[in-house]
Amino acid sequence: MSSTAPQLRSRLPRLAEVAVQRARLTVVPRPRTRPRAPRVPFVIFVSVILLAGVLGLLMFNTSMQQASFRETALEHQAADLTAREEALNLDLQQRRTFENIADRAQKLGMVLPGAPGVLTLGTGKVLGTPVPAVPGNTINTNTPGPHKPAALNPPPVIVHEKPQKRGGDTGGRSDAGHRDRHQDRQHGAPDRDRQR
Amino acid sequence: MTGPSRTRPGPQARRASPELRLKVGFVVIAMVLSVFAARLVQLQGVDPGQYAAMAAAEGSVDVVLPATRGSILDRNGVPLAESIDGKMVVADPKLTADKAPELAKFLAKELGVDYFQVLERLRADTRFEYIARQVPARLATDVVDKAERKGFVGLFLRRDPVRRYPQGRTAANLIGFLGTPRKDGSAHALAGLEDAFDKYLSGTDGEERYEVGAGNQIPLGHNTITPAVDGEDLRLTIDSTMQFYTQQVLQQTVEGAHAESGIAVIMDSRTGDVLSLADYPTYDASDPQDWPKSRYKSSALTDVYEPGSTEKVLTLSALIDAGLARPRQQYVVPPVLNRQDRPIHDHWVHGFEHLTLAGILAKSSNIGTVLAADNFPKGELRRYLTSFGLGRTTGVGMLAESRGILPAGAAWTDQVDDRIAFGQSLSVNALQMTAAVNTIANDGVHIDPSLVEGHATLDDGTEVGTDDATERRVVSTEAARQTGLMMERVLDPVDGVAPLAAVPGYRIAGKTGTAQRVVDSCGCYDGSHTASFIGYGPTDDARFTIYVVIHDSKTGGGGAVAGPAFAKLMSYALRRYGVPPTGTKPSQLPVEW
Repeated sequence: MSSTAPQLRSRLPRLAEVAVQRARLTVVPRPRTRPRAPRVPFVIFVSVILLAGVLGLLMFNTSMQQASFRETALEHQAADLTAREEALNLDLQQRRTFENIADRAQKLGMVLPGAPGVLTLGTGKVLGTPVPAVPGNTINTNTPGPHKPAALNPPPVIVHEKPQKRGGDTGGRSDAGHRDRHQDRQHGAPDRDRQR
Repeated sequence: MTGPSRTRPGPQARRASPELRLKVGFVVIAMVLSVFAARLVQLQGVDPGQYAAMAAAEGSVDVVLPATRGSILDRNGVPLAESIDGKMVVADPKLTADKAPELAKFLAKELGVDYFQVLERLRADTRFEYIARQVPARLATDVVDKAERKGFVGLFLRRDPVRRYPQGRTAANLIGFLGTPRKDGSAHALAGLEDAFDKYLSGTDGEERYEVGAGNQIPLGHNTITPAVDGEDLRLTIDSTMQFYTQQVLQQTVEGAHAESGIAVIMDSRTGDVLSLADYPTYDASDPQDWPKSRYKSSALTDVYEPGSTEKVLTLSALIDAGLARPRQQYVVPPVLNRQDRPIHDHWVHGFEHLTLAGILAKSSNIGTVLAADNFPKGELRRYLTSFGLGRTTGVGMLAESRGILPAGAAWTDQVDDRIAFGQSLSVNALQMTAAVNTIANDGVHIDPSLVEGHATLDDGTEVGTDDATERRVVSTEAARQTGLMMERVLDPVDGVAPLAAVPGYRIAGKTGTAQRVVDSCGCYDGSHTASFIGYGPTDDARFTIYVVIHDSKTGGGGAVAGPAFAKLMSYALRRYGVPPTGTKPSQLPVEW
């Protein structure tokens, strides 16, 4: 910049000299007086922000993961509790079936009511013909079971006892015993099926 | 800043000319970019789907969000069918074969499965075998956990919803059941309302796809959810407590009469709601496989039969409505009426009886009914019967409902006309007949019977339910009232034929029926009878219309067999719904003159 100033001055007319003088550019002195901003705090500041950010993100992520673990665990627990509730409900429903209730009520001696009388509050008159409940007015709660094929429901084997000979041989006795057991098993089978 | 590097001469001297370096750089970049481009074309152009799928499969999980099947509830919200979470226990025989006997023993004990069958499956030469299906979730989870603790490997759980019928036999004939689910776990409806409303009850499965890491969902990972749309609940008009009682009474009646089968229907006279619809014999919806397939239906809707004398109610009310007869009108009823093809008899032997129209109904005279019906112009009786709803389905929503037979055109001969007048030569289903007689109970207005509360959509798109039930007037209020008074005489201990159907303290109108019965085996009358009783009460303010039908009763006709059952059911219904007696004087219409 300083090298171009004299050339400019020589070409310009004298009249403009003052203006040029006034317009001459000078180097602004560097402000030595203001102390240079210290870099260390800035670096520390940025590092802290960075660190805090990274740590925060890490902790946030960790907590999210933690929450995810917890969510999975709680979901398992919820599924488990739902299953338990359903199991208990099943039990409750089993006890609550009409057949069960009617059966238990009748075992306690309850019967179906007779015809009711209706008391009219306004007039005090009894409408209808009240009939007391009578013992034995019950319903049959035994519903017939499914009809099983013959293979599953064999006819009972009837073993006629042979007239025992005095001093009979042991072989005959053991044979009869074997057939008795066989008969028991055959009788037992349908009962077990019915229970199911 | 760049100043000092410019002054360093060393490296500059060893470098090649900038243009060369630039060229080499460009070539390298171009090569790399073309590799990228080729890869891009390979990924996106050649088979993008496969790569996308591979990327998605890597660490992402697809889960079907099962839609819960709607429950079937009775009118009070008592569940008659409901779905609960269930699991299937499956095994990978590659892993289980080593310890098969021990594991089979364990499973047989815990799940109640067959030891030998399971043992075979645990040793099968496949990678997938069913061990148990539709196990309640709790039990299945417990068993598999226990097995793992004991060191068994190779057992897995999969979703397999369980459909429960908590009330077993109650309304089983209506509800139907679901068979073993299909392989994808979807329901497989086999009978009854479960089948008819399958789509309505099923809902739509949803889907969730998310990314997992170490068994847990990655919190900010890709996640898409299509929520499941649960099936809707189907609420019935059935009152399950009453249904149970009806079934028990029906069973007692059928067994007592050594009969073949029976039907009982209880209908709310004012709304047409079917409160009970019982069939006997029936089956247990929880174990349908134990019962013959022929029972997987509601006979009250699928089977038709000749109604017999109960139909006289319709004939006589139509006569009164048409102004062709009055309850006190006098008839001379001969011992036998010779018509074109064969003589018509009454159920009791008599000489020339002097009966009123009320007497004809009270004593159930076929001859008297035919004589009275002779006054109908041609085609008039058929028009009335059609209007009463005979010959067309009730449309309550059950599949395979039979519409009965009401002869038409040339098939409606004079002889047929005579016989139809007293309830033979036409056939009905039980609900149809109940709705027809309910017209008399409901002041002459026919209401479509309903089985579904509110409305629901059948699989074929038809809307059914109480909201869609229509009404139409069939006979005048006065004709209905007079018919009711005549029907009341049927239960009279002296003049009627069914004193056993009476309910103490209440005015009840009813009609017996003892019809010759056509059997399926020969398609002919085999001499057996259908005993029935239909009625409503209280006569002057009807609340319930009840119909009891006993097929092949060995111990008597409608009054003796179905009448007492009717009385029990009517008495129960009136008591249960707290209906007081009306306190008015019963009908005293003369039956003779």
